[in-house]
Amino acid sequence: MTIDGQKVDFAPGETIYEVARRLDRDVPTLCYDPRLEPFGACRLCVVEIEGQARPVASCTTKATAGMVVRTVTDALEAHRRTLLELVISENRDSGDAFGAGTPAHVDPLRGASSQELSTLAARYRVRPGRHAGAHSGHSRRDDDNPFILRDYDLCISCYRCVRVCDEREGDHAIHVGGRGFESRILTEFEGHLADSSCTFCGQCVQTCPTGALADKKALRAVDLPGELTKTRTICPYCGVGCSVDIVTKGDRMVAVQPAFDGPANEGALCVKGQFAWDHVQHDERLRTPLVRGADGVQRPATWDEALDRAADGFRRAAAEHGAKAVYAIASGRAPHESAYTIQKFIRAGFGTNYIDNCSRA
Amino acid sequence: MAAPPATDRPSDAELVARWAGEPAPLLPLLHAFHERDGVLTDDAIRRVAAALRIPLAELYGTVTFYHFFEREQPGRARPRVCDGPVCRRRGSAELLAALGHHGAEPMPCAGRCDEPIPVLVGDQQLVGARDGELRDLPTPLPPKLSDDRLPGWRECVFRHIRTEGRAALAGYRATGGYAALFRAIAMAPAEIVDVIAQSGLAGRGGAGFPTGVKWRLVAEAEGGPKSIVCNADEGEPGCFKDRALMDHDPHAVLEGMAIAGRATGAARGIIYLRYEYPHTLRVLEKAIREAERDGLLGERILGSEFSFRIHVRRGAGAYICGEETSLLESLEGRRPWPRNKPPYPVTHGFEGLPTVVNNVETLASVPPILLEGADWYRGLGLGDHAGTKVVSVSGDVQRPGNYEVPIGLPLRTLLQDCAGGALPGRRIVAVTQAGLSGGFLAGADLDVTLDEPALRAKGSFLGAAGLIVFDDSRDMVAVAADGIEFFAHESCGKCFPCRIGTTRLTERLTGSDGPLDLDEWRSEVEDICATMKATSACGLGLAAPLIVESLLRSFPDDVRAHVEGPAIET
Repeated sequence: MTIDGQKVDFAPGETIYEVARRLDRDVPTLCYDPRLEPFGACRLCVVEIEGQARPVASCTTKATAGMVVRTVTDALEAHRRTLLELVISENRDSGDAFGAGTPAHVDPLRGASSQELSTLAARYRVRPGRHAGAHSGHSRRDDDNPFILRDYDLCISCYRCVRVCDEREGDHAIHVGGRGFESRILTEFEGHLADSSCTFCGQCVQTCPTGALADKKALRAVDLPGELTKTRTICPYCGVGCSVDIVTKGDRMVAVQPAFDGPANEGALCVKGQFAWDHVQHDERLRTPLVRGADGVQRPATWDEALDRAADGFRRAAAEHGAKAVYAIASGRAPHESAYTIQKFIRAGFGTNYIDNCSRA
Repeated sequence: MAAPPATDRPSDAELVARWAGEPAPLLPLLHAFHERDGVLTDDAIRRVAAALRIPLAELYGTVTFYHFFEREQPGRARPRVCDGPVCRRRGSAELLAALGHHGAEPMPCAGRCDEPIPVLVGDQQLVGARDGELRDLPTPLPPKLSDDRLPGWRECVFRHIRTEGRAALAGYRATGGYAALFRAIAMAPAEIVDVIAQSGLAGRGGAGFPTGVKWRLVAEAEGGPKSIVCNADEGEPGCFKDRALMDHDPHAVLEGMAIAGRATGAARGIIYLRYEYPHTLRVLEKAIREAERDGLLGERILGSEFSFRIHVRRGAGAYICGEETSLLESLEGRRPWPRNKPPYPVTHGFEGLPTVVNNVETLASVPPILLEGADWYRGLGLGDHAGTKVVSVSGDVQRPGNYEVPIGLPLRTLLQDCAGGALPGRRIVAVTQAGLSGGFLAGADLDVTLDEPALRAKGSFLGAAGLIVFDDSRDMVAVAADGIEFFAHESCGKCFPCRIGTTRLTERLTGSDGPLDLDEWRSEVEDICATMKATSACGLGLAAPLIVESLLRSFPDDVRAHVEGPAIET
């Protein structure tokens, strides 16, 4: 087949969009998530095929031999701009968030994909106020769950949230209700997420291209000064080995985002990896070692004092009851470096394999 | 212990047991609870979700997609008053107000545009007048045309429909009914397909795909069981032909389906009937029972190896379910969004298996074609055009009704000689095509013949052939606004251009939003129309802009007055 004048081979079943992407063609989309079944809703990825009267959605059209495709023409670009202007026009906050067609004020803390719409709006120089009219989404501020903000005023009905919940998570917690302009994301009987089969994995948040679904915990840091930095690591909670980006602002950890290129998880995470990290910076976390006195009360101590005391205890236990009397369980909340160290300590120090990790459960 | 009191009210378990093992069980099961309770309760939705193993959020979302599933009192007893484009001009607003104390709500065009305003109360199909008086009136028969007026025309699907008793099996057989099925059973399946292909019969629901080609693709497709689905979801405003066919000639549809089954190797037929036709539902169910009793449907028909069963599934109020892949999704119990194509239903239809989806009129055409031959049918058209088309004419004419005309007939002949022309003292200024989907023709464009090539050359199309006529007393901006508002109401919400575009066009045509400067107004409207026509995912979004475009093209002065006129008082 030919794409934009370039001859290219394709695998059976490959879509035009997938082939174009392999060629680094930057075909815009909003409803596409490579992990999900092609859906064909946003129509931004339309391309022209020689001999066909109308453009086709490249995400849902399979490549065929001899096909001659154009991904960029004046007509296509004009349709894309109109589509983006229509989408922007349905957001209640469009006047502020997308003012003057400049990058939006959708805070990137909201989620990993939250900048997709504002990025495209800037790229296509959408004209503010064009196609103005009724707003389509209605935020569920009444849903007071601690993790997921349901800010549907920013929703553009791409249904990536519904599809990731169905196709990847298998939770089926949310679906689409109503129809047409009144289509809305809902749980059964329009209740709260906590009363549904939602597991708060946050996958809907991380695939949302507008920030309509947002990470409530991350948004606590919205007023914190400093740039966002992402540091790639592996989630320590279990043995799957999900790649995550720890998001920091200055010296504060502010969010966890799944890595879409993580080989083990391809952007997936569970509620623990996604949201359970408050212990890292918790006020009640110990800041010094504690040593128990003869009166049974724990008192702050120096590291030397505490390590000597621990070493004494381990030695005594091993001497009186044998090396197998010592058994270590590392915490899933501790970093991998600590987990490594404790197993080394047991294996080298006591010569046993009496070591485990709570994440193995 | 005393036995529980006997009651006619079936239990949840009885309803589930009745339907859970049937094909396409979701809609009938929901209807069963809806009919029993008057509303769909939370408990009923939970029960159905558990029985059919559908996630609760998905089922709840799907229930809210349809118009007629009531969640609150007065529930199904609530009168539903048609406020389609014709009824709006006959006083549907006054009728709604008159029935307001019963909790009346509007419903989109209910497919009875040749009569007083249709009103649905539960499963009663009534008609009403402005003053609120309701009556029970049978579906009108197609008007009989005198031979001198229309020399040389012959009808196909209507040729026996006016015969007394035709709707019952005895009457149907007395006028040649089921002879075509006998013949089909004696023929090789490929021969049947050949006859239909040679006849030139094409999809009469509007898409115009050659029926013989479709049947051949299904006959040759791998996998099974295959299905014949009859699309009886006649939702296009201004179209009421399928209702007339089914009410007065139901066996013709059943026979056509059975012949399609014989031709393609399908043993299962499903009629997807729109919710607004409860009387038709009873007619079809009775006809199926009659045919099964006489061995014309069911196992080993007429002692042959051929078996064919027909099930009726009732929709729940959604225009988009007339789109064949939405219809299939609806049958399969999912939210009825159109599917991405290809693949097409001929290979991936009902339950992902090869399926014929044909319109009522297409299927009713099959028995006469098989009896009279392909050449006979071809010859019914004018010029190079094959066959006939039933056209529903409504609005500002003397004799609204269904007319079966040769394809290629001049529009003006239909309006004048069949429908009797304009009302006294009036002049016809515009005629919609394809219900509302084809937009309207006006001025010199009214000099056109009724066939796809001629109409497409005018930027319109014949489609299901609903013609709504407007005379010089009508506000054409308001007509177009009603039209696009209907499409906005019925947009499924899947693809962006249709979901947002229909709403933005409605706002601009009703004047509730949009630029006040004419050039800016036109620029926005033209951009939206162009993008919808180029990028929408299904026929609804592709066709919806036509009514707006035709307004801009044919009534520019009205548009100017609308945009620049006095602001709407609020």
